[in-house]
Amino acid sequence: MVGKDCVAIACDLRLGMQALTISNNFPKIFNYAPSTYLGLTGLATDVNTVSDLFRYKVNMYRLREERHISPQTLANLVSSSLYEKRFGPFFVSPVIAGINHTTGKPFICGFDSIGCIDFAKDFIVSGTASDQLFGTCEGLWEPDLGPEDLFETISQALLSAVDRDALSGWGAQVYIIEKDKVTQRLLKGRQD
Amino acid sequence: MLQREVLLGITGKDFVIVAASKAIMRGPTIIKAQDDKTRQLNRHTMMAFSGEAGDTVQFAEFIQANVQLYSMRNDSELSPSAVANFVRGELASSLRSRSPYTVNLLLGGMDPHTQQPHLYWIDYLASLARVPYAAHGYYCLSLLDKHHNPEIDLAQGMKLLEMCTDELKRRLPIDYKGVLVKIITKDGVKEADFDNDKIVRSA
Amino acid sequence: MDKLVAQYSRPSHQNDFYTEEEQTDMTGSLPPLSLKFALPPVANPSAFLRAMTDDHSNPSCPIKLAHGTTTLAFRFQGGIIVCTDSRATAGNWIASQTVKKVIPVSRLSRGEDKPSNDPTPGLLGTMAGGAADCQYWLRYLSQQCTLHEIRHKRRITVAAASKILANLTYAYKGYGLSMGTMLAGVTPQEGPALYYIDSDGTRLPGNLFCVGSGQTFAYGVLDANYRYDLSEKEALDLGRRAILAAMHRDAYSGGFINCYHVTEAGWVHHGFDDMNPIFWKTKLESGEFSNVTSEL
Repeated sequence: MVGKDCVAIACDLRLGMQALTISNNFPKIFNYAPSTYLGLTGLATDVNTVSDLFRYKVNMYRLREERHISPQTLANLVSSSLYEKRFGPFFVSPVIAGINHTTGKPFICGFDSIGCIDFAKDFIVSGTASDQLFGTCEGLWEPDLGPEDLFETISQALLSAVDRDALSGWGAQVYIIEKDKVTQRLLKGRQD
Repeated sequence: MLQREVLLGITGKDFVIVAASKAIMRGPTIIKAQDDKTRQLNRHTMMAFSGEAGDTVQFAEFIQANVQLYSMRNDSELSPSAVANFVRGELASSLRSRSPYTVNLLLGGMDPHTQQPHLYWIDYLASLARVPYAAHGYYCLSLLDKHHNPEIDLAQGMKLLEMCTDELKRRLPIDYKGVLVKIITKDGVKEADFDNDKIVRSA
Repeated sequence: MDKLVAQYSRPSHQNDFYTEEEQTDMTGSLPPLSLKFALPPVANPSAFLRAMTDDHSNPSCPIKLAHGTTTLAFRFQGGIIVCTDSRATAGNWIASQTVKKVIPVSRLSRGEDKPSNDPTPGLLGTMAGGAADCQYWLRYLSQQCTLHEIRHKRRITVAAASKILANLTYAYKGYGLSMGTMLAGVTPQEGPALYYIDSDGTRLPGNLFCVGSGQTFAYGVLDANYRYDLSEKEALDLGRRAILAAMHRDAYSGGFINCYHVTEAGWVHHGFDDMNPIFWKTKLESGEFSNVTSEL
């Protein structure tokens, strides 16, 4: 979700096999550079695999280029990496949120499982509760929110959405990303 | 899918208990009632497995050999989290191969440096999660939710395990022939005595 | 002596108990179901219905029925405890978090939840599976029980009531009814009686049942701590805790914990409480649910 000079990204904490909840501490947001974050929803094994794969690729990028990866570059890396598996895709739909340190501008985007980039100026949703998230985000989001208001908005949007989805919830994590500061918060969501 | 094998894992203050059912079933028959569905990977880690016949032991021994090879080459022991991520990586690459391994795993270990107990839940799709207690199955998780806490000592841990096996005896429609129990502490892995002959009455 | 007098001064038919055969006769001699349900005009209506509604085998089926539940009931020295969750799901969509899954099978006029602390006479039925199926047939059962009361001038036994329902589900076997229900009641003839009836036509008396997608989780907690000589408070707490466990682990159970206590005088409602505050209280005060993170 985009705010004024800040972005926010949030995920729930459930890992489950259909109805059975296996773990309530399975964060789906991964950090790749000081203000570049990647959220992954979908098949749990591919969340693990894809996050590990990008950790490797981003580390190699940083060693070769001697600088941090920008959100835009990561987006293109994610896109082409996912398309490499065009005929046997990873079952994930990633979301990127970050701030580009060269321009100072917030950046968010989402992908389908084979790497089509979906740029957006307001918000990106993915996962089993995405239908609900579209509703809550359309209703709550407004342009140019400050960091605190953005935190409130994204949290309420996420919690309300997962409360109407049987397969997600069980707590949530929120990252508020500003130019030189990242705040991480844990939301105590409903545990059912 | 009817669950026919039992894997349980419980961590406590300074130990990990891993239990696996002893029966091997083929179709309508129990062909072995004293099986050991675990493999020790190195001094402080072990793995319990269930799943497709053949795949299980092949995969476990492949992992066992490679973890031991690593220890020999580098003259150092892999930590439980390193082993878990290695296992997951192997299982994940096999998942997208022509013949994937169909194995569910519990991996327990004591970190030799931090002395922290580790328990990892890994399913045949190679999803990995670190958990305080785990079961491949339904009945025991709610029971452990209620009675587990991270500070328990070994005696309380064994008591908890007994509650779990009691419940399985009561409700599972199969005879899994008792469980084999292994305990991992900072001193390594050892098999524990466990009374599998207790008779449990249903309510 | 007083006891003897009391026994003989009651109307003589009060303590009579029908044999199973008499009960079958009675329930069998009910007027045939004049309930005319329209069937879809296709060759095999039940297969057609199943294809349209079976979410499990076909996730994109056009008609989604409300499903997914945890309900439990058990007998103990003080009567019967009945507890349920309150979630209704259609696929992964949570259709409602405030379903009342305990249905009073009382005289129809008295079955409504009137604000009263006195026990309400009658039986309790629970609802798992198709919500509409359970509601409709338990309402029908209420009607039959009321008629029984009027005809025979005494309350129906739980055995007979459960038989009416079981005969009914058996008559409709194969038509795609989906219900797993428990009937609980305390009668002078039977004492505390608990029956499990499902849409296959199964009817079982028993001490302890959990029904629904979260049943395994509820059994886990319940079996470990169940004793027949629980006190009323212990029994209510155990029932609530078992439902809480199931709500936490089962994605298709959740919402509010609904609790009832059945005695010979009738049933008493013991709260319809949101699970979330109860969960955090249980976690933080008793140190349970150690797998849930409460701090970063």
